[in-house]
Amino acid sequence: MTHRTRIIAGLSLLVGAVSACSNPSETTAADPTAEAPRVLTLYSSRHYDSDKTLYAMFEEATGATLDVREAGASQLLETMKAEGDQSPADIVLAADAGSLWRFKDAGLTQALNSDTLNALVPANYRAADGHWYGVSRRMRGIAYDPNRWTADDLAQWPMLAAEDKAGEICVRSSSNIYNLSLMGELIHRLGSEAAQDWATAIVANMARNPQGGDTDQIRAIAAGECSIAIVNHYYWVRLGASDSAADQQVAASTAFLFPEFSDGSGSHVNITGAAITATADDLALAEEFLAFLLTETGQTYLTTETKELPLIAGAPLPDGVDALPSFTPSDTALDIYGQNQAEAQRLFDLAGWN
Amino acid sequence: MPRWMPSVSAIPPAVMIGLVGLPVFAAIYAGLVAGDGATWAHILENRLTPYTLTTLATLILAAIMMLGLAVPAAWMISQHDFPGRAFFSWALILPLAMPGYVMAYAWADLMGVAGPLQSQIRAVTGLTAREYWFPNLFTVPGLAFVLASTLFPYVYITARAAFSMQSLATLDAARSLGARPLDLFWRVALPVAMPAILGGLCLALMEAAADYGAADFLGIQTLGVGIVRSWTSFGEPNTAARLALMLIALAAILLVTARLYQGQKGLHQTSTQWRTPGRTQLPRPIAVAATLLCAMILIICFVAPVLRLLWLASQSATRTVDLAPLIKSTLALGVLGTSGAFIAALIFTLAAKRTQTMKLATRLIAAAGYAAPGAVLGLGALFILRETGQALTGGIAITLLIWIYISRFTSAGVEPMQAALDRLPRNLDNAARSLGSKGVRQFFAVDFPLIAPGAFAAGLILFVEILKELPATLMLRPFGWDTLAVKAHAYATDERLAQATLPSLLIVFAGLAPVLLLSWRLSQTERA
Repeated sequence: MTHRTRIIAGLSLLVGAVSACSNPSETTAADPTAEAPRVLTLYSSRHYDSDKTLYAMFEEATGATLDVREAGASQLLETMKAEGDQSPADIVLAADAGSLWRFKDAGLTQALNSDTLNALVPANYRAADGHWYGVSRRMRGIAYDPNRWTADDLAQWPMLAAEDKAGEICVRSSSNIYNLSLMGELIHRLGSEAAQDWATAIVANMARNPQGGDTDQIRAIAAGECSIAIVNHYYWVRLGASDSAADQQVAASTAFLFPEFSDGSGSHVNITGAAITATADDLALAEEFLAFLLTETGQTYLTTETKELPLIAGAPLPDGVDALPSFTPSDTALDIYGQNQAEAQRLFDLAGWN
Repeated sequence: MPRWMPSVSAIPPAVMIGLVGLPVFAAIYAGLVAGDGATWAHILENRLTPYTLTTLATLILAAIMMLGLAVPAAWMISQHDFPGRAFFSWALILPLAMPGYVMAYAWADLMGVAGPLQSQIRAVTGLTAREYWFPNLFTVPGLAFVLASTLFPYVYITARAAFSMQSLATLDAARSLGARPLDLFWRVALPVAMPAILGGLCLALMEAAADYGAADFLGIQTLGVGIVRSWTSFGEPNTAARLALMLIALAAILLVTARLYQGQKGLHQTSTQWRTPGRTQLPRPIAVAATLLCAMILIICFVAPVLRLLWLASQSATRTVDLAPLIKSTLALGVLGTSGAFIAALIFTLAAKRTQTMKLATRLIAAAGYAAPGAVLGLGALFILRETGQALTGGIAITLLIWIYISRFTSAGVEPMQAALDRLPRNLDNAARSLGSKGVRQFFAVDFPLIAPGAFAAGLILFVEILKELPATLMLRPFGWDTLAVKAHAYATDERLAQATLPSLLIVFAGLAPVLLLSWRLSQTERA
């Protein structure tokens, strides 16, 4: 018995010891006369190395410490729900308006209504009630084989449902948030029934079962397996900007466009955005962080590696984005995507879109 | 002591059963008390049957592939000599170091329409992608192949051990009765080894059933994918937990079926002469075929995907992240998790010796954790977190994560230990008891030395499993504790496979050391 107890005691000591040295921020108070360092805890669903540089710059500029937890948006959401009042999270950074809506819907965010931020972020790229702000833009569009189609053949989403596209479409699985948000706007514009018919027609026109990521769909065009791929713009831009000659060749052999829903409806826009959590206490620092993301430096680091589009007018564009055509953004309120998310998945399921 | 009073030694197993079972039950309880989600009716009506059938089809195909890969190779290696036998005897365990999702990335790249194989076909034949047939990895057989190719070593290890340790007397008797080699295999060796092989197969199938990463990447709608989808798309973790019940039920059925079969056919050997008779030299053409078979298995399940990943990693000119902290936290969590799960497995195995009921109870509880996807156990952990009003930071987060490792992987430790015990003649234990040995003394004087070879294998398998674990680690790790698996996943979700390859390869290489140690040790015991 004693041996066993000792083993268990030893193990718990080990856990304690390891966890004690787990938090680097605990040891950073260098100057004893200084006030306790301000700490901002960020829950992020992004995984880019350039974000780390950006965070370091913010720490440098403000003297504050950033603790960052990266995980999928759904996982962060459940974590925050479980932590409740105890959550250390101050800011949630997530790709896709549909994700941010979920945090707000669960009562985990608070309204900021900052005049500074309201002046920086156009009204259609933030929640009307100030619960989240967009920080960069991402567009879902179509990569296609220009030898097979003209831009006019594909100018509107309903055109993809036409019979002449049979066996030509490549797209990823329906559970992907980008597809759910696109479907969310279709439901908003066409109603559930027509949206489901559209999805059913797309399934009938698929060249293969949904598989892989967006990049795989674009590669499939170059390989000749299909001629239309529904993908986010930055995957296409990244292929063009890649070090690999083969990737550049894939981008060069395809074209990109942003379909509208109907004449003059504008094109489907999404964002990466940030929300202030309900448990955040240093609101001034949180606001400062958001404002920092919206500076020219912030915009540059958010978009250089990701190839997203900046949100602030006049911010420099990342390399390679100039290959994209111009577009008119849709004026649909982005909160709609979240509200329609579960319905979108249900309709996809019924349409047989795996 | 009155009969109704539980003995003191029943406390550790009882506590451990609670510890291992709690996260599973927390997740299911949370799923049931939260009431029906808005989409529960939809899932029940439209999705449950396809999810379940797809999962079953995947598992059946994977089982056939694993038996086909593992059993002939194990038989050849344990019974015959052929060129490269010594090398293959340990090398065939290497695929265990590959996480399923990494194997899926590698083979999807190799076999994809834009990959090297198909590009070559088009370059040579001048056909376009739609004009020829090529096996599609993004199918149920494709997923079964990916899972089987990483998990067959479980079957191989148990089959090889069972073939090697067969009673000399049994095989000799069969030989003296004129059994030809093939008869010997089908009519004597295989039936005797079957319980052990089934044990390994059960473990591999439970692991395959809980897979999410590979199935999601290949776009196959298994229960594992359905569970995550009902959580992330529908925003209903309670629906996810309910679906997880299906997987747990599946595992229970697997385990009970195997158990029943083993109870019926399991032969407790009384002879202590386990050594195999000297391996026989195969006729030259058959020897060459055996070498080719083993080489092909090794190339398909390990060499080709690893070489492809190395090549992809070399193509990526982008700067590499600082890997040192990733390696450090991966190893630290691996060691902590292994220690915890090892102790749990040891307590379970010893408790199982007490009564058949205890044996079944411990195995079922451990199997429930093993069959539950990591994400569901993570939800269970979050439920516990909520009930205790804590934040997911520092020591709390690490303790929860280790707890989930224990809950998830104890089964992977129990099975090898149990197998070591099952191979022993039962009278050893009785002898020890009749000589008055019991309690702690019996544990150190009798039990542990007997379990030791199995325990050693258990420890190494646990370590490799925990290195590869993704969903729970992703959910529960505290700030600054990114592991290699977490990093590889982050790159892969951003569709930067070239950058995902380096951390992926490091997981494989970190897993190689324990796997090699395991192989070496198994060969030692075989020789002893």
